[in-house]
Amino acid sequence: MRELSLHILDVMMNSVEAGATHIELRIEERSSDDTLAITLQDNGRGMSQEQLSRISDPFFTTRTTRHIGLGIPLFQAAAERCGGQLVITSQPGKGTQLRATFQHSHIDRAPLGDITSTVLSIILTDSCDLSYTHTVDGAEFAFSTLEIHAELGDVPFSHPSVRAWLRQFIQDGEASLQ
Amino acid sequence: MTLDEIAQKLSLVNRTSIGIQGREVTGGYTGDLLSCVMAGAQENSIWITIQAHPNIVAVASLLGLSGVVVAEGIDIPQETIAKAEEHSVPLLSAQETSFTVSGRLFQMGVSGTGRTNQ
Repeated sequence: MRELSLHILDVMMNSVEAGATHIELRIEERSSDDTLAITLQDNGRGMSQEQLSRISDPFFTTRTTRHIGLGIPLFQAAAERCGGQLVITSQPGKGTQLRATFQHSHIDRAPLGDITSTVLSIILTDSCDLSYTHTVDGAEFAFSTLEIHAELGDVPFSHPSVRAWLRQFIQDGEASLQ
Repeated sequence: MTLDEIAQKLSLVNRTSIGIQGREVTGGYTGDLLSCVMAGAQENSIWITIQAHPNIVAVASLLGLSGVVVAEGIDIPQETIAKAEEHSVPLLSAQETSFTVSGRLFQMGVSGTGRTNQ
């Protein structure tokens, strides 16, 4: 895909569909070892060893609406093309962790892209909490929807003012890393 | 064939303020993997791609390409346009797919890679 945020969105949708109530998304950009690492951890239903062994096979999918699942194979291909790898660990009933690494400066490494919209899409499904951390060398932007919920009390994320505030908050946080 | 002639015949829109009159186009390359473009595209070629991030300007500038066509109506971010202005790389928008743009260019006689005897 043309930007990594779309791969991240795809994986987070997998987590939501696996019944996750909490997703942790960590993006680390390090010039010291020229690495971009994306880690996603969820507390969804997890996968058996058999399912896990087939996850990179585009002809394996647990979706019922179609017979080809390209999300993970494409993400893996993108990482491997950029001198990195994609590793998934999972246990039934415990959740799944995905870690994709890229050589940060690789010419074929897609830009992170519109991570704000990706993160907002998941937050606004209101189906799970999100812990988000993005570090660029020494700088960090982090937030937790649990903490924001606590501040808002009864006001839902779907309220237009909250939605607008959230978008600006995430955009400003991301901009502070540049 | 020149870039302005191509732009006119294919209804391409120049997204930069860089003049394209008289820019000679001697070949073409179509592809979205920048490493492949680096290896395969020749100087004074036109490059057709769906990539629109600033790195396309770096590649076009390094290779001395006549210009870059971003196909499929893909929006070109301001950051990429600014980079293109800075490095004098014309960025042209096409509504058609890479396949169609390439095919029409080929029909117009813009064929080959720009290498001699090919």
